[in-house]
Amino acid sequence: MALDQQHIDALAAITGPKGVIEDNDRAPYLTEWRGRWTGTAPIILAPASVEEVSKIAAYCHEHGVGITPQGGNTGLVGGQVPDGQVLITMKRLRGVRDVSPENNTMTVEAGLTLAEAQQEAEKADRLFPLSIGSEGTCQIGGILSTNAGGVNVIRYGNMRDLVLGIEAVLPDGTVWNGLNRLRKNNTGYDLKHLFIGGEGTLGLVTAAVLKLYPRPAQSVTVFTALPSARAAVDLLSLMQGETGGMAASFELLSASTLDLTLKQFPDLQRPVETEAPFYTLMEFTTGSGTDLGEKIEAALAKAMEKDLVLDGTIAQNETQAAELWQIRHNVSEAMKKDPAYCVKCDISVPVQDIPAFLEETGKAVEKAAPGARVIAFGHMGDGNIHYDILGSEDGERDAFKARSNEMERMVHDVAVAHHGSISAEHGIGILKRDELAERKDPAEIQMMRAIKQALDPKNIMNPGKLL
Amino acid sequence: MKVLVPVKRVIDYNVKVRVKPDQSDVDLANVKMSMNPFDEIAVEEAVRLKEAGTAEEVIAVTIGPEKAQDQLRQALAMGADRAILIETTETVEPLSVAKLLAKVCEEESPQLVVMGKQAIDDDCNQTGQMLAALMGWPQGTFASAVTKEGDKLHVTREIDGGLQTVALNLPAVVTTDLRLNEPRYASLPNIMKAKKKPLDKKSPSDYGVEITARLKTLKVTEPPKREAGIKVGSVADLVEKLKNEAGVL
Repeated sequence: MALDQQHIDALAAITGPKGVIEDNDRAPYLTEWRGRWTGTAPIILAPASVEEVSKIAAYCHEHGVGITPQGGNTGLVGGQVPDGQVLITMKRLRGVRDVSPENNTMTVEAGLTLAEAQQEAEKADRLFPLSIGSEGTCQIGGILSTNAGGVNVIRYGNMRDLVLGIEAVLPDGTVWNGLNRLRKNNTGYDLKHLFIGGEGTLGLVTAAVLKLYPRPAQSVTVFTALPSARAAVDLLSLMQGETGGMAASFELLSASTLDLTLKQFPDLQRPVETEAPFYTLMEFTTGSGTDLGEKIEAALAKAMEKDLVLDGTIAQNETQAAELWQIRHNVSEAMKKDPAYCVKCDISVPVQDIPAFLEETGKAVEKAAPGARVIAFGHMGDGNIHYDILGSEDGERDAFKARSNEMERMVHDVAVAHHGSISAEHGIGILKRDELAERKDPAEIQMMRAIKQALDPKNIMNPGKLL
Repeated sequence: MKVLVPVKRVIDYNVKVRVKPDQSDVDLANVKMSMNPFDEIAVEEAVRLKEAGTAEEVIAVTIGPEKAQDQLRQALAMGADRAILIETTETVEPLSVAKLLAKVCEEESPQLVVMGKQAIDDDCNQTGQMLAALMGWPQGTFASAVTKEGDKLHVTREIDGGLQTVALNLPAVVTTDLRLNEPRYASLPNIMKAKKKPLDKKSPSDYGVEITARLKTLKVTEPPKREAGIKVGSVADLVEKLKNEAGVL
């Protein structure tokens, strides 16, 4: 849909020339980072204040012009990619309005990156625990709208659990001040939850109140080799029991995942000599006092006695801990370096179902696409597996790419059979929109549509996404 | 060949160091402590010598608080055979450390002492050299490669302008540089076994060494914060500022 020049001029006038992204600067906002989608937008706006966001929304509402909000453009399902809508990037709304170590909250604007938010918390000797691979680029508004998860969900929850209040511009330009700082506030519908994970379909999030936590004084990072996925489930229970729930991360890597990552990043040292079907990367944290390292060693000794752990290592210093995490963080990049096309799935199942899910999906993949390589890894403590399928080493890239929908559905079928989700933390966006409507309870889809209709009757907010 | 590896418990390399509010010292409360990274390289080298059949026994030694046992256990988990903790809560200066190590050398008669070229807390870079002098042994400092050739030890040293290889008669002292090796991860079974390896506890007085500090710390301050830069509008502006503000032209 081409937008009349008069609308473009009117919108540009709201932000002024500084808030209009033009020419060669446009490309990074229109290209999805893995190159799966390329968007189009008649104009890209970077408003500098909530007031400007409100004016843009009001104008678009009046004239029925579509809006696509964008954070750091790190999404994996296309939710941030415009299809002819006005693109609004929040990158200039990056204020830190308030940090309260006493109340353990901070109020930040949507365009602040996650890494910057973590640093603001650290300055106040607090922890903002959400941590994901793209934290240097992704923004608070984006991770809120997509309810991002990451590596610390097992201990601190996902974004939904870490937000107390939000400020949002509604589709008609109304600014809703919902910057609640209270942990207890039972006063009716908790509407922020519609915007968290709402993927920008109900309005534009401009600021949020985030929960802060004490910074842990001790942390222990462990890498283990396991005889089976079942052992990983049992190890999680054992470690949580022995430590009283001190696991901050519990990540699973299949043998193929570790091998591929070490192959693509030869500078990384293999952490264990023993070859095993599965590995875990675990991090435990606590305050000062009892020696956490001793506790973990004792728990691991028990795990070895029970044959849950074949081999492993405990990081002896922060450098080793960082190197172990480097392996985990480089998994996605390792797959990108492989010439074959990669089908990416982001499923979750109840933790005890993970072994069966892996086994059944593995068989299905082998039957459907012999030679394809399963790269299964992820946040096992949350039941969330990134189940990626790399085409075979000698296969045709495009031929495999053409089958991605079929592959995804095959993986999703197994997850759903185990009461799982087709999108654990990446969201729906464009990628899984049609499938969502098929897989969810019709009553739920009906409610979602009713809410969308009530808040955005003209369907101007991120049309074509989620629903 | 018997190899002695002195190791030091220091503030972890990745920790952001903070100064105590009264400026008396660096704040160590609730701070992650680890083995000095250069010493970790020394342990790795000694263990490799043992694995290659060049060394028969590797002994780790540290001088420090009771918790410095953690670093000895790490050395044992990496492959050292036994350990000695010379326990003290005092700050021990390089010369006192060297004197204590000299006593350990007299007692244990190692053929080789491998240690970090410096500790990352005080960055002194003195102890290895002092120990060699006290023992009257040859020294190969800043080693990036160590090989045994006949009855001599060939040590490649990283020096200004290139590499120098020295041949040392044994016994000798070698201090390690960063590129000598990449220390291994301690495996879980070895971490468990390390708990059962012998660890002797001694005190400086057992060796008859007086460790009283000769230096007094007057004040510890953080380095001055770097001020933010500015953007200049033109080359002329830049030249003007370099001339009149920076005074470098």
